[in-house]
Amino acid sequence: MTPRWRTLLLVLAGLVILPGVWRVAMALPPFGAPTSPYGQAVNALVPSLRHVSNMVSAVNFDVRGFDTLGEEFMLLCAVTGTVLILRGGRGEDRRAKAGRIAGRALEPRSDATVLICRMFGVFTLVFGFYVTLHATATPGGGFQGGVVVASGLLLVYLGEGYRGWRRIARAPVLDGLEGGGALLFALAGLLPVVLGRAYLENVLPLGTVKDILSGGLMLVENVGVAFAVAGGFAMIMVEFMEETRATQSEVEE
Amino acid sequence: MTLLLAALLLLTAASGLGVVLTRDPRRQVFALSANGVVLTLLFLALQAPDVALSELAVGTAATPLLFLVTLVAVRINKSRR
Repeated sequence: MTPRWRTLLLVLAGLVILPGVWRVAMALPPFGAPTSPYGQAVNALVPSLRHVSNMVSAVNFDVRGFDTLGEEFMLLCAVTGTVLILRGGRGEDRRAKAGRIAGRALEPRSDATVLICRMFGVFTLVFGFYVTLHATATPGGGFQGGVVVASGLLLVYLGEGYRGWRRIARAPVLDGLEGGGALLFALAGLLPVVLGRAYLENVLPLGTVKDILSGGLMLVENVGVAFAVAGGFAMIMVEFMEETRATQSEVEE
Repeated sequence: MTLLLAALLLLTAASGLGVVLTRDPRRQVFALSANGVVLTLLFLALQAPDVALSELAVGTAATPLLFLVTLVAVRINKSRR
């Protein structure tokens, strides 16, 4: 099929679909209209039921906590698969040299980069912990906090170079964080079962609204998610970065 | 819909188009990152700070980094042969 015919077919298909699209688009609720009864119910009930002011965390860790457990293990599987494919080969040694592209000059890291990364790396890591710890009070939570911590580690790499970064981001520790976090979430769900209640039922004391220690069992699940996400993202970065290292034979040359 | 939202939605469309129309993979990574920043601002303006945080960390830092590292690894492997 020539490009001209393809364009003609696209225009024709567009013309055929257009009336239907128009009808559906006109029948949609107006932009930003809060019509979801589920959302309204959560906003009205959850602050008094669970003593939590961040509804997103409440939905994720309590109202549909079991779904989040599934997502947690999806992440675990994805990270494990990536690691299985990429581990081995090269770059396992923390001091491994960077791979070279022939005929390309090596630019040293500028002082400005080091300065900015040393300043913002620390801030980013602290902000990640803050976002994680205040999951039930302010926007954010385990996932966001974990990803922010992982990007803080990335700033460490940019500022300190591969060796300094690998000294902090150690593979066994990251593996433990990843698996341990998911395990913590699963075990937190078993605690109510031991007490004779339903899986993931919120049995811990709920605390006061807007307090850092509010939400009961949500806090434990949240920490589990934060560990798993930070460990998982950092692990994937380590494995990807190892692929840019020189192979053993190149180092020996 | 306020002027701010309209402007951000237009910017989203423009930056998304930028990602599609960029042909060089290395530049495309940065276009993708820019698209992530615009989406972060849009989510923030729509009062969804949770999603904005995730988008900022995953969409503008983690994903572009993985693409960049992959491109580096491909180039290094090419120069080995």
